[in-house]
Parts: sequence; structure tokens; C-alpha cells
Amino acid sequence: MKKIASVLLATTLALSLAACGNTTSNASNDAPASGSASTPAPEKKKVEITYWYSWGDKIGENNENLVKMFNESQDEVVVKAEYQGTYDDQHSKAQAAFAAGNAPEVWQNEISSVGVFAKSGMTEDLTPFVEKANLDMKDFIPGLMGNSYVDGKLYALPYLRSTPILYLNRTLLKEAGLDPAGPKNWAEFEEYARKLTVKDKRFGITMPVDIWTYEAFVRQSGGTMISEDNKTAAFNTAAGIDPVKLWLKMKKEGTMNIVTTDDAGTQAKTDFHNQRSAMQFASTADLTKNMIVAEEQGFELGTSFMPANTTFGVPTGGCNLVMSAKLSPEKQEAAWKFIQWMTSKEQTIYASSFTGYLPSRVSAVESDEMKKLYEEKPLFKVAVDQLAYAGPRPMQKAYPEIAKILKDEILRSVVDSSVTAEAAIAEAAKKADALLSK
Amino acid sequence: MTLWSRLRPYVMVAPSIAIFSIFFIYPIFYMIYLSFFNWDFINPVKEFVGLDNFTELFRNNEFLQVLSNTLNYTLLTVSLSIVISLFLAIWLNREGTWYGIVQGALFSPHIISLVSVSLVWMWLMDPQFGLLNWLLQLVGLPKLEWLSSPDSSLLSLVLVAVWKGVGYNALIFIAGLQSIPKDMYEASALDEANRLRTFYKITLPMLSPTLFFLIIINLISSFQVFETIAIMTKGGPVNSTNTLVFYIYEYGFRYFKIGYASAAGVVLLVVVGLLTLVYFKLLSRKVHYQ
Amino acid sequence: MPIEQRPLLKVLHYLGMVLLMAAFVIPFLWMISTSLKSYAETVIFPPKWIPSKIMWSNFTAAWESGPFLKYFMNSVVVSISILLLQFTTIILAAYAFARYRFKGGNLLFGITMVTLMIPGQLIFLPVYLLMSKWGLLNTLFALILPFSSSAFGIFMLRQSFKQVQEELIEAARLDEAPEWKIILKIMVPMARPTLVTFALFSFIAHWNDYFWPLVMTTTDAARTLPIGISKLREVDGGAAWHILMAGNMILVIPILIVFSLAQRHIIKAFVYSGVK
Repeated sequence: MKKIASVLLATTLALSLAACGNTTSNASNDAPASGSASTPAPEKKKVEITYWYSWGDKIGENNENLVKMFNESQDEVVVKAEYQGTYDDQHSKAQAAFAAGNAPEVWQNEISSVGVFAKSGMTEDLTPFVEKANLDMKDFIPGLMGNSYVDGKLYALPYLRSTPILYLNRTLLKEAGLDPAGPKNWAEFEEYARKLTVKDKRFGITMPVDIWTYEAFVRQSGGTMISEDNKTAAFNTAAGIDPVKLWLKMKKEGTMNIVTTDDAGTQAKTDFHNQRSAMQFASTADLTKNMIVAEEQGFELGTSFMPANTTFGVPTGGCNLVMSAKLSPEKQEAAWKFIQWMTSKEQTIYASSFTGYLPSRVSAVESDEMKKLYEEKPLFKVAVDQLAYAGPRPMQKAYPEIAKILKDEILRSVVDSSVTAEAAIAEAAKKADALLSK
Repeated sequence: MTLWSRLRPYVMVAPSIAIFSIFFIYPIFYMIYLSFFNWDFINPVKEFVGLDNFTELFRNNEFLQVLSNTLNYTLLTVSLSIVISLFLAIWLNREGTWYGIVQGALFSPHIISLVSVSLVWMWLMDPQFGLLNWLLQLVGLPKLEWLSSPDSSLLSLVLVAVWKGVGYNALIFIAGLQSIPKDMYEASALDEANRLRTFYKITLPMLSPTLFFLIIINLISSFQVFETIAIMTKGGPVNSTNTLVFYIYEYGFRYFKIGYASAAGVVLLVVVGLLTLVYFKLLSRKVHYQ
Repeated sequence: MPIEQRPLLKVLHYLGMVLLMAAFVIPFLWMISTSLKSYAETVIFPPKWIPSKIMWSNFTAAWESGPFLKYFMNSVVVSISILLLQFTTIILAAYAFARYRFKGGNLLFGITMVTLMIPGQLIFLPVYLLMSKWGLLNTLFALILPFSSSAFGIFMLRQSFKQVQEELIEAARLDEAPEWKIILKIMVPMARPTLVTFALFSFIAHWNDYFWPLVMTTTDAARTLPIGISKLREVDGGAAWHILMAGNMILVIPILIVFSLAQRHIIKAFVYSGVK
């Protein structure tokens, strides 16, 4: 045994020493490159930067198209766009890349992760760039800016953003003699679901236990997720318990199908698409696809605000653009140029009409192009109007873990009738407090 | 003995050992090292916390559940798929095109990427509209919740794993069966009444190297289950299908607790190591080599 | 065999085989069917097996969604290089472990077995950092090198080398045949079934591998098919099952070919090895 250990230790030591040796040489390899580039050269040399994005299909095309347009629009910066899987994939790869010293210059943060990456020093404070460029921050829609500031400093600008909305199968609503405009509040929502349910054939609504949706319901009840000092969970109140109570009640009545598997989100979509459910809470990003499916399946699609309890309310979702920390001034300049271009009025109009994500600037919403689009496709307008009631997602480092705990505890009450909504939320709050107090 | 003949074995294993040391052994030591620290990947300072990560692990009910999930999943999957595939192998071990085709069909789940496999099974197991519940009702049995309930979710995953692995195991069993010399059966074939005896006296002992090999390979791969979990359940509902590797990955890369995740990784190594060791000690003596 | 002599048993026997086959092939057929549907038909209930209109365009849509030719070539180069390297390293190592007694041999074999127990998810970070230091990220080397030997292969092959009769080798040694000749002319042919089986498993595993290439590459230049296909899945607004399954069909066809070749080979190889 001793021999084994000593041999292995020796190998590891040798290897880790080699690894350490390489770190320094690697750093010095980088230095001359950036050094020579920053000395004023006679002819202008293009600065090359890398941009990481998530998701393929339409969203991927949108990213590739915009980058191509940016590269053609000027001759100082060349951006390479690279696909990196889901947001989670992109985040863990960015961590590994940062540790290895080859992080991309510009990348995406799913909005609840902006805080984690800013606090750990992976992303750059953009405040000086905004000041220097004299960027009018008031033009960004305030409801979308909650996940951009960390400790009073700006770390991210809104890019592909969404909110949950209520999708309606208007054909079925009309058949059931309901107002096709959709339910305004929770009581009406229950009523709608009841009237739309046909036993063994259709549910009023199919829903996953999804914390994004839960955040919406809490906000509608006038509550928040985490206390203002970030030290405790704030959802162990009536505002946090009522949503679960409502869900459990509707599930018991058989008007709401709560899917507990991991593909619940997909299944909610599928149910809505083939009319096994008449309503659906989903991201605005699904609108384009839902419109196509509704037409193929022959039903009339509607959208409305998520119903109110004491008030309307939704969290926002999607991703913001960030710049990696500790870049050379030259790369910073290039990265900033790209971020500024990507989030400006014209590009937000392009991205919004191409993908169905929300436009992030007031001037874009008021532009003729968007107005025309909203006239042609009024369904798009609902999400933009709902932004007046939208707010940020929590950004604490422990939040991904808290979200998982919440999901587990709520699911426990869904699958086990002996667990009440109160008990589930109390348990989740207890665990969340323990995480937050660390 | 010349110098060369003494050096030869080392030279022959050197390439493999070098690769293993660099890409597997070194990372393990790195992981063991990290398990004594509190680190989030990015912070240049790693905080030394001694055994704190381990005490936290074993105080965490969630982790204990994950451990028991992993053990249950592994034992069930391995025993079921070994028994079923052995049965199938004996049944299908015959000459003829048809048998070849059926053997191929059994193997097909192993060829298809896990994404497709998982999607199809999620569709089959849908509690409302899935094919399996439809079949159950057809023969007058009650519907099951499959992946939707914490009571049946782990078993459902075992079912998928067995379905996926049986063809692979059966193929190796068939190969093993065919390498048993025919004359060994001839003596006992006269006495047709006692086929079970033949199985215990001849087939099983002659098959023991194959059996041994398959049990080990299945144990290890079941213990490391990751992709099915990541695609089909993400450990849910209510942590009922969360297993070690998935847990480690989530803590390391979603919750930024690399020290804690590494500690869980060390536990994984210890458990798999022990399993293998016990297995070697107990069974290697009983395995019959030709 | 007695079954063939009793009609009732015979019927049951074949019925059993058909049911068995169905249970295992249905998902595969579903995959083919879905790959030829329109999106609307993929979600309707009850599901339809035969699409009302065959959509070959799904395949072009999948193929054109990215540089699929590049992905395809990368997949081929990676899987085949891994296989060739593995053959070289594992035959040498397995022979040494099976046929020589040498100091530290057990320790080295122990290291090999430990390797077998480590999932990629546990070790990718340090390996990523190493690759980055060596400047190999985003090259096919990052996908090939860590797998250029296989503990699984050594384990499998060592067993079948051990089963080769001692007399054969002794006879060869008396004829003063060099060791490399013994390996190539005696051991490898005797272990052919094992080698073919291993090759098949190794090829399938690396051809379908999603996790490792995803982690080690950031650009299309070094990416493989499974990543190209995941791009079809990871759509924020709901999955395009039909295109996704078309992509998966593109992924699976080469394996089907390899498998149908290898399966016959495995069975045959065993029949011959019985004869000696």
C-alpha cells in the first residue's frame, strides 16, 4: 500500500509541477501578443474577439446573422460567434475557460446568474464604458434592468429577454362560452380552467412545477422571493403559500394537470399544441412557434397577461450580454463596441422580430417597425404591455440551489397529499435560510 | 534473463499507464485535494476547510438519499439485466438467420443515442396518454405513475436501463455460450430430463468468466449513470432519482461548490473501489477458466 | 433441439421472438417515423405511425443547420483514430498483464482498474486545464488522446489472452519465434472475437459521445455529430422533434452499418475459435 501511495504521489506531484510551470509560461505567451498589438501600428489591425451564445435553430441563426452584420458594418473589430449548448452548458464552460485563461470576450448570462459571475470577478463592470459612451440608460425598459446591476454597478445589458404570458386556445374558450380575452384574476382563472376541462379528454391547463412560474405567482400576490438584505427567504408568507394552495386545489379538482417529470415544460407545450389543454403559461419566446402550430392544428391562438391575485406580475427571463473581466484595454474597447451595437435600437428590433423575444429599448417599442409588427400580430403586444408589471429574478449565488429546493418541496406537496402547501413552503424556506446565511 | 526481457513488460504497459496517469489518476488526486477546500472555481484563493465537506455531506439527508438511490438503482439494474439477458442468451443461442435478426434487434437500443431512447420512453411512460398505461388498461390492470411519482420513478429508470443493456449483455453471453465446447454437453444430453442440472453443472461454471466480466462492467457503468438522469429526470421528482454522478456535477457546476462536489466524488470512488475489491476477493477464486 | 419437434411449443417460441423483437425495435421505428413527419404530426394524439406526407426535407433541414459534413468527418476521424490507438496500446498492455509476471504488475493493473471506475464528469476540469496549457483545446487531439488506451479493453483482452493455451506459446517460443510474432500470429487471432466486440463497443461509445466533445471544444472546427444534433434540440421555444430525429437518423446510420458487419463477424469468429 505504501508503495502504491508513494508512486502515485510522485506522479501527481510531477504532473502538477509540470502544470504549474505551464501556467506561467502560458501567461507570458499571451503577453507579447497583446503587447505588440497595443503598440500603435502603422496600418490598422483588426481586433478579434469571441462571442459565445446558447440555443440553436432560430435563436442561433439570429446570433449568427447579427454577428455577420456587425462584422460587415465596420472594419475595426472581427467577432467570432460560437454556439455553446444550453445556458447551463455555456455557464459551466465559461467557468472552465476562465480558469484556463481563455474565456470569450463577450458572452451571455442567463439573467439570474448575472450576480454570481459579477461577484466572483468573472465579468467586467460596464459602468465606465456607459459613462464614456454617454449611453442613455433610460432608453432600456426599466422592467428588464433588474438583473443588470450588482452592488450598484452595471454588469450586463439586456439582450434576448422574455416574460411568461398566458397562452389561450380561443377556439376552445369560445366553445365553452368564455370571454376569449382570457381570465383577469385568479378567481376567473379557476373558473376558466373548470369550464374548459373535459374529463379524460382535456385539462383546463397543463403546468410544470417551474420556479419561474412560481416567481410569477408570488409576485402576483404581492410577495418577493428573497429578503432585501439577501439574508433570508421571503417566500414563507401568504404570498408564497397561496400559489401552491391554488395549484393543489385545482389539481384536486382535476382542472389543472401538474406534470411532475423533468420534461414537464415540454409536455405542457405538447398538451397545448394538440389541444389536450386549453391554456398554457409559457415564455414569450414560444409565440412564433405557437402561432405556426395553432394554424396547422386549426385553432385560434390568444395571449393575455398572467392573471392577477392582488396585482399583475411576472418575472423576466432570457439572457443579458456581459464582458469578461481583466481583458486588455484594446479587447475591452472591441467587446464594448460589440455589446453596445448588439443592444442598440436597430438590433433589438431585428432580434425581436426575428425570434419573438422582447425588444429591450423604449425607442424600439415606439419605432415604426415594431408598431407595424404589433398591428399585424397583436399577440406580440401583450408581452410588451405586461412589462409594466415585470421585475427581476433573484440573483443570489445560492439561488440556483434554492430554486431546486423549492421545486422539490412543492413537488412533494403535489405528489403526497399529506404534505400541505404551508409545510412545503416552510421546509423550503428553512433550507433556503441555511444556504443564505452562509 | 536479459535486461530487455526484464524491461519488456514495463515497456509494453507504459503507453497505457502513461495515458491513465495523465488523464485519470492525476485528475483524481486533484479531486481529492480539492475535497479539503472551499472553492468556487474562480476565486484565486482556495479556503482550506479540512474534513468539513465530508461532515457536511454525511449530515445532509439529501446526499444520503442520493447514495441509497444510487445503490438501489445499481443493484436492481445489474441483477435484473444479468438474469434476463442470460435467459435470452440461452433461448436465442441457435443457428439461423432469424436468431441473428432477433439478436440484432435486442442490441438496437444500445446503438441509438440516449437522447432518442429517453424521448421515446418519456412518451411511452406518459401517465395520461402513454402507450404503457394504455396497454395496462387493455389487460385490466391499474394505470401507473411511472416517472411522475417518486415511488415509481427510480424503478422506471431501472426499466429503461435494463431494456437498453439487455441486448449488449445477451450478445456477450451468446459469445460465451458458443465458446463452450459442444462435447461437454453430449454426455449430459443423453439424460434429457435434467436440463436444469446441466445448466448448473456445465453451462454456469463454463460461463463464469463471462458472467464475472459482465457483472463488473454493469456494476461500474450503472454506478456512473449520468446521461439518462440528465435527460429524463434531472434527479426528480423530489430527489427520487438523483444519483451520485449527477449530484456531483450539479453541485460542482451549477451551485459552484467544487469542494463539496469533490468530496462527494471521493465517496463515489471509495464505494466503487470497495465494490470492486470485494467482488474480486469473493468471486475470482470461483471463476472457472478453461 | 426438442422445441422444433413440438408444434405448440414451436408456435409459442416464434410468437415470443416476435413480441421480444417488437419490444426492442418499436422505439427505433418510432424514431424513423418521427423523422419523416411534420411538426404538427409529431405532437398529435393518438400518435400516427405513418406520416400523411413523407417529409424528406427534415433531413436536409438537419444537415443544413450547421457544417454537418465537418461534424461528420470529425466524428469519423475521432472514432477511428481512437480505435486504432486503442488497439495498439491495449494489445501490448493486455499481453504483458496476461503473460508476464513482473514486479509492480499488480499495482499497474490496479491503476488500470481504477481508471475503469471514473466517469468523465468527475475529471473533465483538470483535463480541460491540461489541454488548454498544451494548446490542444479545439483540436481533435483533445477528443482522442484521453481515450487512446482503454481500461475496459485491457480488462477484456487480458481475460481472453489468459485463456490461450500455454502449450501453444511454449511451442512457439521453442521455435524461437519473437514475442511480437507470438502476439500477432497467435494471440490476436485467438482473441479475435473479443477484439471485434471491443471495437464495436468502443466505436459506438465514442461515436455517440456528447459530453466530452461538448466540454473540450468551443468552435465548430473540432466538433462532432452529437453536438451538431444537440443544436437541433436546444431550442428555447419547444423542441422540433421531427428535425431532431432526422439528425439522430444521420447519426445512427453509420453505426448500423458497422454493427451489421461486426455482428456477423462476432458469431463467425466464435464458430472458428471453437474449431481452433
